[in-house]
Amino acid sequence: MSEMKNIKNLKEFSTSADRFEGANLLCPGCAHSIIVREVLNATNDDLILSAATGCLEVCTAVYPYTSWDASWIHIGFENASTAIAGAEAMHKALKRKGRLKQERDPKFVAFGGDGATYDIGFQWLSGCFERGHNMMYVCLDNEVYANTGGQRSSSTPIGASATTSPAGRVSYGEKMNKKDMLAIMAAHGAPYVAQVAPNKWKDMIKKIQTGFAANGPVYINAMSACTTEWKFLPEDTIAISDMATDSLVFPLYEIIDGTKLNITYRPKTVVPVEEYLAAQGRFKHLFKDEYKYLIKEWQERVDAKWDYLQRREEASV
Amino acid sequence: MQKSGWSEFEIGAMLRSFEGATNNIAITHQEDRPYSKSNSFTASVADWRIVKPVFNKEYCIDCQFCWIYCPDISIISRDKKMIGIDMDHCKGCGICVEVCPTNPKSLLMFPEQQDEEAALSEWPAKEKKEN
Amino acid sequence: MADTMELRDIEVWDGNMAAAQALRQVQVDVVAAYPITPSTPVVENYANFLANGYIDGEFVMVESEHAAMSGCIGASAAGGRVATATSAQGYALMVETLYQASGMRLPIILNVINRALASPLNVNGDHSDMYLGRDSGWIQFDAYNPQQAYDLNFVAFKVAEDHDVRLPVMVHQDGFMTSHTAQGVKTLSDEVAFNFVGEFQPMNDMLDLDHPVTHGVQTEEDWHFEHKARQHNDLMTKVFPKIQAAFDAYEALTGRKYNIVECYDMDDAEVAVVCMGTSVETAVEVAKEQRAKGIKAGVVGIRVIRPWPFEQIAQAFQGCKAIAALDRSSPNGAPGMLYNELAGTLYNAATRAVLTGYVYGLGGRDLTKSLLNQIYADLVANAAAGKPTTALQQLIGVRGPKLEFL
Repeated sequence: MSEMKNIKNLKEFSTSADRFEGANLLCPGCAHSIIVREVLNATNDDLILSAATGCLEVCTAVYPYTSWDASWIHIGFENASTAIAGAEAMHKALKRKGRLKQERDPKFVAFGGDGATYDIGFQWLSGCFERGHNMMYVCLDNEVYANTGGQRSSSTPIGASATTSPAGRVSYGEKMNKKDMLAIMAAHGAPYVAQVAPNKWKDMIKKIQTGFAANGPVYINAMSACTTEWKFLPEDTIAISDMATDSLVFPLYEIIDGTKLNITYRPKTVVPVEEYLAAQGRFKHLFKDEYKYLIKEWQERVDAKWDYLQRREEASV
Repeated sequence: MQKSGWSEFEIGAMLRSFEGATNNIAITHQEDRPYSKSNSFTASVADWRIVKPVFNKEYCIDCQFCWIYCPDISIISRDKKMIGIDMDHCKGCGICVEVCPTNPKSLLMFPEQQDEEAALSEWPAKEKKEN
Repeated sequence: MADTMELRDIEVWDGNMAAAQALRQVQVDVVAAYPITPSTPVVENYANFLANGYIDGEFVMVESEHAAMSGCIGASAAGGRVATATSAQGYALMVETLYQASGMRLPIILNVINRALASPLNVNGDHSDMYLGRDSGWIQFDAYNPQQAYDLNFVAFKVAEDHDVRLPVMVHQDGFMTSHTAQGVKTLSDEVAFNFVGEFQPMNDMLDLDHPVTHGVQTEEDWHFEHKARQHNDLMTKVFPKIQAAFDAYEALTGRKYNIVECYDMDDAEVAVVCMGTSVETAVEVAKEQRAKGIKAGVVGIRVIRPWPFEQIAQAFQGCKAIAALDRSSPNGAPGMLYNELAGTLYNAATRAVLTGYVYGLGGRDLTKSLLNQIYADLVANAAAGKPTTALQQLIGVRGPKLEFL
């Protein structure tokens, strides 16, 4: 393993030379590219990347342009994990056979949206983790099929209005609770699983570097506030992200070796979930009188999860 | 880019990020990279903007919040200093202005057509903290 | 370094073992695979080679056929020799990725042990899966016995990895009839086999860290057509010369001659059967018996299904008066793949032979000699009449009232 990049503070981090380029076609204010930049800039090692079909893919490799300064592959919606696993296997084979062109060990990173990760690519991802490839899988979790115009995924939270679970005269929108991907990936016995948010860049970098140093498959669930589908102004991406982490709707934690859970961020002042919901158009309908009970339930669910995480941490399990 | 005919490109629709060999790209800044014409760095999304950020160096403390949170690699920082905005790649989202902590802000949004000198001349004064 | 395996000049191998041995001998860098009947033994045999020190590449046992081909694509794009095997339902699950592999011009070798597609579920050999992939942009070779399954794998790697080709290749063999039928197979030594194919020469490889590449881009109406046109052009113009050169080189090495279209007793044939897989060998035997009775009978076996050998087919039937196209896959509402391709090929050709079609052998049902004798009897009547004396399409070897259409 090569030396870890030393990033003491933001000024030092800002000397990084990005390997992700502008004039990609992501929406103004898109959190995906903030996350991608933080992940890629966390290391100076060579990178081999893959992406699942989705916003990131269709916006960064539209012929005749690529926005990637490291080798990158996209196959389909469901198999970004297996694509990078295949490349990792080839690296292993060529290294054993002495046929690598350069004697360097790149990091293998796959990106997928929550649709690609929680839903259609779930089996492929599980297979890769069971087999223990040396790879990092980063889920850009914006809780919706944003690339195709806002359909629900199994990451869409209760009460969000998505185009296939719209709020209407007799519906409050999405009925199912969000799938707990971190628990599922940790249950694979992965050496490192973590939830990150781009607004907490230092926490993010630390986790990405821990992931890069781990031996085996690493799962990173990256909260990606979506200006288009969550319905907030593009300049508010970081403000909304702050509300998400500070309301504990997106708690930041890590699970080591499938068991040991550490909370990595404790907000000084916890923001009420109601404020987080109120800031986004996708939850607008919840503020009608008949649905206000859902906001209360939201708060209870977030509190219960936070309580659970704290008990896990305390018990060191 | 000019649209070429079927016989004029690489098989498999493969694109190269750079012309010729590169190494240490992770520590080579944009101005020193041999970008290929297929690298989106060579393209522009300037026409997406209806508003643009203007940078006022006078108030900047080089905190680099704008650099870390810019989705479009459009905050140019070198040697720990914020030195300007890449107007070919800025889409005008306004995040840099929102996260700028100085008082007054060192970055503000103006209409795309606004003259930069004029924008700087009408920069707001330091705001007094309420209560 | 992997151990060398000492082989006898002739080994008793079934088609699965023949394919697995070929993969071992060319020192594939990554095999990503998932087992499915009847191709499972290809993967099992390979796993055994690995377990006994004969393989130093990576063997990735994935969780589905879709993942198998996905892993192969990632590995191939990374830059090395890649192969796998599958059948039927697994092949169907792979279909999405077949197009992606060929569209990215990745030289992956896929051994397809042909099997019927459900429903109803069936594990036996017919050509439904082979037909399913015919527009996927792959090169398709068809082996009629274990020896050919062995030989054609070497040719497949040599053609696929050629930088002027860079297209994936399927090597087909009939499920059970070839895959599980042990026959004498003339072998090559490990060294000779590997040297025929040679060291893998990477191209546009992701693992060339100093030359980053982007694979699997998005193209819409402004670019997509040109890329597909390029691939089609290369299939139409670049592949056959390379296949012929590889066949010639293989003949020089082994004495075993392969042709893009295999003609048996066709020089003066007036009636001919066209088929694929194990049926070719049966048909050749029946044609000889017909010849003994004074009938100028011949057989044409399709060796290269894609790209379709248009010119070689037109050439093969000069002087022929009646032709039967034998399709081992239900056309489900159409005349049949071989029938249609032959009709399209011969329509403007010099020959004006009468062309009729037969659907046979679905789900592994035997193609008996008596069925073939009946086909030749039909052809003789068609040749004499100068027009079809039967329906254009007959289903043969199926129980119940006679089925014929068109």
